[in-house]
Amino acid sequence: MKRLMALMLAIMMVLAGCSKGKTDKTLGNEGELVEYSEVYSGEITTLNYLVTANYNEFALAANMVDSLIDYDKYGVLIPGLATEWESSEDGLVWTLKIREGVKWLTYDGKEYAETKAKDFVDAAKYLLDPNNESLTANIFYSVIKNAEEYYNGEIDDFEQVGVKAVDDYTLEYTLKQNTPYFLSMLNYVCFLPVNGDFLEEVGDRFGTDNTNVLYNGAYIMETFEPQTRRILTKNEQYWDKDNIFIDKIKETYNQEAATLAPELFLRGEIDYAEIPASLIEEWMKDSTKKDLVRPIRTTFYTYFYALNFDPKFDAEYEPDNWKIAVNNVNFRKSLFHGLDRKAAMTTAEPYDPEQRLANTITPKSFVDIDGVDYTELGGLKEFANTDSFNEELAKEYRDKAMAELEGKAKFPVIVYMPYNSGGTELANRVQVIEQQLENLLGKDYIDIQIDPKPPTNFLSEVRRSGKYAFLESNWGPDYADPETYTDPFTPGSNYNFPEFVEGYTDANGDKTYTNLTNKAKAEILDIDKRYELFAEAEAFLIKEAFVIPYALGGGGYAAGRLDPFESQYSPFGVSSQRYKGQHLMEKPMNTEEYKAALETWKKERAEALKKQ
Amino acid sequence: MLKYSIKRLLQSLFTLFIIVTIVFLLMRLLPEEGYFGASYEKLDEQQREAILTSMGLRDPIHKQLVNFYKNILTGNLGQSITFRPKVPVIDIIKDKVPYSLYFGLAAIGMSLSVGVTLGIAMAKNKNKFWDRFGTGYVVFIRAVPAAVYFLFLQLYITGIFKLPMLFDIDKPKTWILPVISMSLGGIASYAMWMRRYMVDELNKDYVKLARAKGLKSKSIMVKHIFRNAFVPMAQYLPASILFTIAGSIYIESLYSIPGMGGLLVEVIKRQDNTLVQALVLIYSSIGIVGLFLGDLLMAIFDPRINLDKKGGAR
Repeated sequence: MKRLMALMLAIMMVLAGCSKGKTDKTLGNEGELVEYSEVYSGEITTLNYLVTANYNEFALAANMVDSLIDYDKYGVLIPGLATEWESSEDGLVWTLKIREGVKWLTYDGKEYAETKAKDFVDAAKYLLDPNNESLTANIFYSVIKNAEEYYNGEIDDFEQVGVKAVDDYTLEYTLKQNTPYFLSMLNYVCFLPVNGDFLEEVGDRFGTDNTNVLYNGAYIMETFEPQTRRILTKNEQYWDKDNIFIDKIKETYNQEAATLAPELFLRGEIDYAEIPASLIEEWMKDSTKKDLVRPIRTTFYTYFYALNFDPKFDAEYEPDNWKIAVNNVNFRKSLFHGLDRKAAMTTAEPYDPEQRLANTITPKSFVDIDGVDYTELGGLKEFANTDSFNEELAKEYRDKAMAELEGKAKFPVIVYMPYNSGGTELANRVQVIEQQLENLLGKDYIDIQIDPKPPTNFLSEVRRSGKYAFLESNWGPDYADPETYTDPFTPGSNYNFPEFVEGYTDANGDKTYTNLTNKAKAEILDIDKRYELFAEAEAFLIKEAFVIPYALGGGGYAAGRLDPFESQYSPFGVSSQRYKGQHLMEKPMNTEEYKAALETWKKERAEALKKQ
Repeated sequence: MLKYSIKRLLQSLFTLFIIVTIVFLLMRLLPEEGYFGASYEKLDEQQREAILTSMGLRDPIHKQLVNFYKNILTGNLGQSITFRPKVPVIDIIKDKVPYSLYFGLAAIGMSLSVGVTLGIAMAKNKNKFWDRFGTGYVVFIRAVPAAVYFLFLQLYITGIFKLPMLFDIDKPKTWILPVISMSLGGIASYAMWMRRYMVDELNKDYVKLARAKGLKSKSIMVKHIFRNAFVPMAQYLPASILFTIAGSIYIESLYSIPGMGGLLVEVIKRQDNTLVQALVLIYSSIGIVGLFLGDLLMAIFDPRINLDKKGGAR
């Protein structure tokens, strides 16, 4: 045994001799931190930003290529590659002045060409070629004149497509119809430029690695080793380089990133780590660790519980009985007011569940009219600031529903609630909901039957095929306009099929919600009115309890050196994923500092929005 | 020997053909949603069809299969479709092989030297300290899930010795822990089998005879017992060396080593047919070649084995 101990000691000493202390952080000229590193587990498949629809891939594109417009940290629209713009009287023709002197660089920092108006035309040409299989072409051709026709091969003259380089620095888009939110779309990947000569030169290899793309944004990808690492370095020739404060971004791939990141962060090997729900309690109890962790900002992804009006699930769960029940407004309202969303949220956010709850489908701060938030408009205001959970009301509606449905529906009504068993959080949540709702409303009224389903093909097997009664669903915006949040509930969509609801049919034969949204969509000149109309439509959806708004995406906790309030703020597009404008903090923000900063930011934002 | 080799080669090619065909067909049975990943939601039916057609998935199955074989025969393994679209499969694989190979070989070297030494020490000191220690080690490694002690090693040992937790090609000391982790399992099995075969041999009559003849204990050990005990283990050596290029799924992902580990799992998840097929083809070939070399090696070690004699192979 002694020999063994001696051997172990010897090995330890050799190993200890090999190592030095903690690696020193790279500092800039004035002693500030300028190198940012993190680990990631979701590998990207391509750098071809004209093809991808993947969020992680947008993040790289956002830092490598600039867009026509940008957003500041308050969400105010500011010039990007376009310095100024104007639209014609009818809102159909948009003329944008392109910034002069912006260079395209190769991966090794050599100048390739200047960014010109033609680059946006070349990008459109590439995008609208079906052979390139762009996943965002549909967003482009949903607004640009003749683009869809060109994509589908109905016209083959590209001159007819509504995108034109008037001269080197003047770009012109012609729209299909007046689109009030058009400008916000220019921040999306399908409107990014590409150099046509380069595209021709590299052909099929465009975007397959860092050597086969050009850079005109804040960073150049110096190293790209998939499943290993990628390194972005500051573009020294960038037109706005005074606003880049991080010189180098080093991202290391690690399949176990989620598990290892907190420890790596504590050891100073990386600068950002999300702290999973399973660890947060331990961190919160430890006085040093507690000081390093702060909440993560919520996103514009919206979560809601959908009630299915076209149930197609198995007979054992009694779809016909559910159909009778769900068509009764009081039955729906009893669930609407009976669902304790805060209790449900504690499964994901035990410390401050309310900060992630959302009372509307369209999240707060998404769009506004002169500083007045969209959710404060018209009928929506009533819901935006009240928690839908109300035991008294729930019981009242239950009694009404039981009286009205007597002899028609069979009680208890089976509420078939399948869920994606891929994560533990959701599994916990559905159990909480089952118990809570059944206890509140009584097991003689509803019988919630939860059913774990495999993650593979969950959406097509369950939601899209209508095989559920009650389901947690989500939706993310496609452009900065409330219209985007009506998509899941319009006929032909595959969320909860409200077009099959009984009643609610207007004189023209369409459903009330459809008419409300159509009316709002038709209002393209008066934005105030347009938003009011959409708010009305959304209020209707919530008031009639077709859905139960639940939560916002994002959230959770993180330890990191980036100041979340310095990042560009935009509900849609790639701006919010840019490192531009962000500093590295010596010490991470803690929860109190985060909350204070959030309050300050909100105030400053309100001011900024009023001034715009 | 030559006759045997040719026979084995033909058998191997047939096996390979069967494996690759089955995998090819199984891939086509998977739901098509997998080809699109997160973008599925954003596409309409027409766009999806267009993409699937361009991938060649709308051709009749026999046509796809024939194309596939034609390409293999011309040495064209194709382009990745979802993992890294349009990048040749060979380019993806060739960057990763060296890492797995270096780590794998280092680990095999370490497991062999330490494991065999430990096994010999255990056999020589039966029921004494080294035997008990070795048995305890073997039981521990076999009973505790590898993920547990791998993670422990990475989290705590690096902490104690102030080593970085992630692999860095420029820092040699970051090689140490992954190699140690990778060889722990190998050490246990080599030690276990070595001990067992040695103990078997020690009790055989020829050892008693040699002792009676007055041969030195050391020379009996090295010339006879060790050689005889090592033969059954030698058979699997070529396969395990070749298989190092497949990489270690868990270790590589734990330390961010850019090797082949988990690539197959990853590309199956992403439903990258071309890559899955190429990897299966490569791995099966390795397995087949490895087994064949193992047989040859055994014949070299053990002169009693005559591969050409009927019924004499095993």
